[in-house]
Amino acid sequence: MILCVFVLLCLGMGAWKKAPVYDLFTGGARDGLQTAVQILPSLIAMLGAIRALEASGLTGALCDFLAPYTEKIGLPSGLLPLMFLRPVSGSAALAALEEVMTAYGPDSREALLGGVMMGSSETVFYTVAVYLSAAGVKQTRYILPCALAACAAGYAGALLFC
Amino acid sequence: MLQAVFGGMLGAAVLFGLITGQGEKVFQGFLQGAGDGVQTAFSLCASLSVFGGLMGILQGCGAEKGLMRMLKKPLNRLLGKMPEEALGYVAMNLSANMLGLGNAATPAGIKAAKILAEGERASNALCMFLVINTSSVQLLPATVISMRAVMGAANPEAVILPGLLSTAFSTAVGILLCKWMEKRR
Repeated sequence: MILCVFVLLCLGMGAWKKAPVYDLFTGGARDGLQTAVQILPSLIAMLGAIRALEASGLTGALCDFLAPYTEKIGLPSGLLPLMFLRPVSGSAALAALEEVMTAYGPDSREALLGGVMMGSSETVFYTVAVYLSAAGVKQTRYILPCALAACAAGYAGALLFC
Repeated sequence: MLQAVFGGMLGAAVLFGLITGQGEKVFQGFLQGAGDGVQTAFSLCASLSVFGGLMGILQGCGAEKGLMRMLKKPLNRLLGKMPEEALGYVAMNLSANMLGLGNAATPAGIKAAKILAEGERASNALCMFLVINTSSVQLLPATVISMRAVMGAANPEAVILPGLLSTAFSTAVGILLCKWMEKRR
């Protein structure tokens, strides 16, 4: 429903501005395609590493160990890998989200929670590193603590609003 | 950072697998995951292209510029006094991020960071800008919706509304914490 309204909005704006919607669409699609191809090697690496970790039994053992604590706040322990990987790497988080959906099923509440967590947070460490190193900034002051707290707030928001 | 995460995950898997005698399973899992990675990325091609195309239409119609105009006033208040040029780059970066145009956002963000830096020290304005940026401002989580569609979810767009709410929440928390830290020093 929302996505159909979104398509209508795009077409309506295009008609209103008399924009070449086909050319704009194909141009944007090229960017999207490029993103999908760009993440291919990192998705191979990260999903490989996550599945290897899963097969070794370590993920399960750690999640089982932490489950009693996380379940007190209504957090399924299977989401922990996603939550730890999200601030570090986008493709690692995407791989972890895939793992959550495979484990719990794509229509589960866990999959919804994971998706909302992923959508309401960013690759904090990566973004901060890229911008600050380009600007030559070394004293980062309170940026990382505040950014990580905001990330945690996004996770809490997911638990609250799902 | 990524080296440590990847190396750590794979190293821990292999070591733990060897200790528990699950060595072969670990490598099998590695290969299986790699295969799933290929499949997922290829399936994502279609969906990410569709979202990219729709965002392309919005961008071509000037949605980014419209957002920029809307953002300038509140940003000026949040970040404090700063050169007009910097404000333009900050607004450009955030509006591109709101539309999920990461590639368009980064160059503007770097230019803003260069102007706002006080030598090697991050200014208050730069801190606020980066915290807002990394609290996620994306309005439509295209990658997550695509991933849900690829995995066969009955309702891939179910993440949109709760996602908007928790994105707004996380950004609000980031801004409040930043203001509090500003006043503390």
